[in-house]
Amino acid sequence: MRVSYKWLKELTGLDWSPDEMGERLTLSGTSCEYIESTARYMDNVVVGQVIELSAIEGADKIKKAVVDDGTERVDVVCGAPNVAAQQKIAFARVGARLVGDFVIKKAKIRGIESFGMICSERELGMSDDHSGIIVLDDDAPVGTPLVEHLDYDDFMLTFELTPNRPDSMSAIGIARDLAALASIKLRRPKFDLTEVATPASDSIKVSIDDPEACPRYAARIIKNVKIAPSPWWVRKRLLACGVRPVSNVVDITNLVMLECGHPLHAFDLDRFGSDEVVVRRAHDREKFSTLDGREHILDEQVLLITNGKSGVAAGGVMGGLNSEVEDDTTDILLEAAYFNPSVIRKSRRKLETVTESSSRFEKGADPNGIEYALNRAAQLMHELCGGKVHAGIVDCYPKRIEPRTIELRPARCNAVLGTNYLTERMKQILTDLELEVSCDDPLVVTVPTFRPDLEREIDLIEEVVRIEGFDSIEDSVTNIGPLFSRTLPEDQFAREARWVLTACGFDEMLDHGLGSSRVAKLFNPDLPQVRILNPVSEELDIMRNSLVPSALAAVSHNLAHRVLDLRLFELGKVYFAGSGDTDWREPDRLALTVSGNTPQGWRETARPFDFYDLTGALRRLVEHFRWPDFDFVPDKVSFLDDEISFRIKSEGRAVGWAGLIAPDQARTLGVKQPVLVAEIDLEGLIDTRKDRIKFEPLAVYPAAPRDLAILVDAAIPAGEIIECVRSAAGELAESVEVFDLYTGKQIERGKKSIALSINYRSRSGSLSTEQVEEIQRGVVAKLEQEFNAEIRDK
Amino acid sequence: MSPLEEVARLRQEALERISTADSLASLKEFRVQYLGRKGRLTAILKGLKDLPVEQRKQVGAEANKCRVQLEQDFDVAERRFSEKSEAPLIDPTLPGTAQRVGAMHLTTQVIEEMCGIFYGMGFEIARGPDIETDYYNFSALNFPPDHPARDMQDTFFVEGDRLLRTHTTPVQIRELEKQKPPIKIITPGKCFRNEAICSRAHVAFHQVDGFLIDKGVTMADLKGCLVAFCKAFFGEGLKLKFRPSYFPFTEPSAEVDIQCFLCGGDGCAVCKRTGWLEILGCGMIDPAVLEMTGHDPEKYTGYAFGIGVERPAMLKYRIDDIRLFYNNDLRFLRQFV
Ligand SMILES: [Zn+2]
Repeated sequence: MRVSYKWLKELTGLDWSPDEMGERLTLSGTSCEYIESTARYMDNVVVGQVIELSAIEGADKIKKAVVDDGTERVDVVCGAPNVAAQQKIAFARVGARLVGDFVIKKAKIRGIESFGMICSERELGMSDDHSGIIVLDDDAPVGTPLVEHLDYDDFMLTFELTPNRPDSMSAIGIARDLAALASIKLRRPKFDLTEVATPASDSIKVSIDDPEACPRYAARIIKNVKIAPSPWWVRKRLLACGVRPVSNVVDITNLVMLECGHPLHAFDLDRFGSDEVVVRRAHDREKFSTLDGREHILDEQVLLITNGKSGVAAGGVMGGLNSEVEDDTTDILLEAAYFNPSVIRKSRRKLETVTESSSRFEKGADPNGIEYALNRAAQLMHELCGGKVHAGIVDCYPKRIEPRTIELRPARCNAVLGTNYLTERMKQILTDLELEVSCDDPLVVTVPTFRPDLEREIDLIEEVVRIEGFDSIEDSVTNIGPLFSRTLPEDQFAREARWVLTACGFDEMLDHGLGSSRVAKLFNPDLPQVRILNPVSEELDIMRNSLVPSALAAVSHNLAHRVLDLRLFELGKVYFAGSGDTDWREPDRLALTVSGNTPQGWRETARPFDFYDLTGALRRLVEHFRWPDFDFVPDKVSFLDDEISFRIKSEGRAVGWAGLIAPDQARTLGVKQPVLVAEIDLEGLIDTRKDRIKFEPLAVYPAAPRDLAILVDAAIPAGEIIECVRSAAGELAESVEVFDLYTGKQIERGKKSIALSINYRSRSGSLSTEQVEEIQRGVVAKLEQEFNAEIRDK
Repeated sequence: MSPLEEVARLRQEALERISTADSLASLKEFRVQYLGRKGRLTAILKGLKDLPVEQRKQVGAEANKCRVQLEQDFDVAERRFSEKSEAPLIDPTLPGTAQRVGAMHLTTQVIEEMCGIFYGMGFEIARGPDIETDYYNFSALNFPPDHPARDMQDTFFVEGDRLLRTHTTPVQIRELEKQKPPIKIITPGKCFRNEAICSRAHVAFHQVDGFLIDKGVTMADLKGCLVAFCKAFFGEGLKLKFRPSYFPFTEPSAEVDIQCFLCGGDGCAVCKRTGWLEILGCGMIDPAVLEMTGHDPEKYTGYAFGIGVERPAMLKYRIDDIRLFYNNDLRFLRQFV
């Protein structure tokens, strides 16, 4: 919301600078976002006069004007439709800096030299009106700076308001806070209302069908108004608050709303269609056109102001096209009502619009501020539009909304804040905020209805501290709370997994967790999806059910930027819907992704990443967390390549998958190079592991290492061979490792050579060469028997 | 003497000669004595075939090791004497053997740093689901139904009457339901807002929320805690500014600005010339929240705060596009290794 600085000065009598006002308000909860001078685009802009106007050959939209700017006469090219000879106008000299930092320079347009610009309101940053140039009064003195002539050196303070403070949506509301900050009295505008004898109730009756939705509806009648532009002081004030002036009657309703925060609506009484106002819920499918020209089909959510037959306004949101004030309007029905905030919220949603009026009612207007608003506006219509104010307010207010009374215990206030405020100071602050305070302990505080947000003691405590300022609270320097903080197992797990995997050379990636239903379906057609009902885009319309699409998206992004070698991991959630309130699951997962080549260096040669880079890292995790070994069971996973596709099992339980992404799947995400992934479900794997380490006494007796190279059928898994060796050698085989693997020209097709190093050791004594030889023979025999192995080297 | 011992003695002897040699000529002579075609070590190597199989392997390995070492040592020693030095043995400007480790994601690092600071103050971590109910995300946090406060957070709604949490504050409710005061918890995690993705906004972001509930907790304690945190996270000597604000679940509520650590408060492009950066929201836990979770607000008070993760990281590292936190561009990730 924007408010004029001069207006705030007028309402408070404070001589604070705009910056000081902004800062003090910000520090008391009314956040001043920026401060702009109303005249920021008026340097070098003066009152000028169009001396003569002539056509430019070959151009029908632009004309050549000779302008007197008080010091000289210059040629100016002007395209405004309303420019005319003898007019006094706002003239920007060469050098003026206008809206959008547009600097006026000497220019040549259609062969005519132009030395300046005749300005519209938009060019001078006054409003967004660009329909024509500003035409000044005939007696405006040529050559006078425009700011001076218009008395336009004001500032616009723009506030970002929190939704709990409807009271600060007005100049008076903001001035009230300023007054409290300075401990002075607010200077409310004073006026005497001039009424004629005829009672307003002769012209109009009011009834409310739904007093829950509309607790109060009040109206005044003002007749014989003459619609015209508002005087400059009204327009100026509106402009400085960012509101576009329209005509006197409408401007007055806006001005009063900006002043006291209560929205008003002026109907043309002759077009109103009856002599009664009936406030009711709209009927289902009832049609209604708002004054912005849109036709709506309503339902019961919308509160409709009617003339007893049909709608004339969407209550609290927008007036109707049928009863709008127009240039020939003479008689006014002026409405001021109080609507239930949540009714307005639903209503404006149904109408898909937010207006100055709806946002005030939605946050909570003052039901008892209606008299002021009506009287103030009526008096202005009398003064500025020549209207006759008929006697009295026609008021339908079945159940008066009374001010609330709250108690505030001074000790409680200090206990919550950690302060030592004096009771007297608390009292003063609350009084300065125009609350009524009596008694001392507790303070009994009567809260006027313009502060609907103050409902409880804590709300008053907040009032005290926001005016006194948070700086008045001394920062505590001691630590309080429990003595011991635990660490969640999943956090400890994640922390260690990150250490392990980054040490393995994997970079951590992180996805937002939203995914595309299309891609998810492609990858895991059988997995259920959690749909987002109001997605930002089709590509982000579900919560992901696998980390794989995220991983592939990351690969795709990097490949598109020519980063081809990737080793990534992600620790993240996937999401599964439950039935009703139960079984919603967000299991933690781990994904490993490799693609491209290993790093190339002066000591190492790059090679393509492959499946074993995944299993190597997984093995490191298994080792670190003391998990049982993973088994990789060949099995077709929907998005993996036929040849390289495995289920990962831990003690027989499926915990994930690993393999090569099927190339056609990868290509749908624009990835053309091989990508290998493993995805592990961490549920059941994250429980703490370190305590599983059991210390083994160091070996006392020497080891007897033996190497063994065998030739076997290429299809025989190395794991089975190792298992066979272990079972043949028994517990004397301390370790069995593969140290070489060869397939190729040197050996028979369909065979592989596998070299094992076996470390024999006994815990009870030195093994003799003969003992070792005997076991080794047993091993060889078993290998020959089980795998038809051919011993290459003993 | 066993062949193994012989190798060992020979090595010992040769090394001593290398280290005591006083000329290039004598070194060359020694080299022939040990490693020449009729050298002593060569003889041992040649004699291997006569040894039993078991010994052959072991001795062979040892003798070969010895040969490689001696060759190297002779090379080094001879270079000591050669007049014009050739290329130096070591080029220290070459990068050492690559030890390629991965980078943790910046978001992880910032969360770890923040949580570490709070852990040191006695906070422990609690977590909750990303997909929440209206009750935990709004109602229990004192957002009235159909209230403009709900517009402060653009919400993603999910089938099954759920939503994506818009802050990690729901975890506060979940913990309040489970525990008895004193409770001192931080809740790091992902949150979601239905916003168009651009350089300044994303559909997801991270937050570290925290709260303390005990007897006699005051706003002064809250201020002290946050001042200490900011000192640890942003650096010493930066002023904080507490501005009253509004959150439905705290009262009084405040937003906290920190003196811009890039310009020291003088005003720069990052702080939009104000000298201040908005970094967190906080307040005293609203009595309604305590009541709703079965705690007596007359007996207990508490404070709560919420800190964004990406925003301070963006300020600290001067990152100008929040999308970098989610597109997993290796050129971004590797900068934080
Ligand atoms: Zn700065």
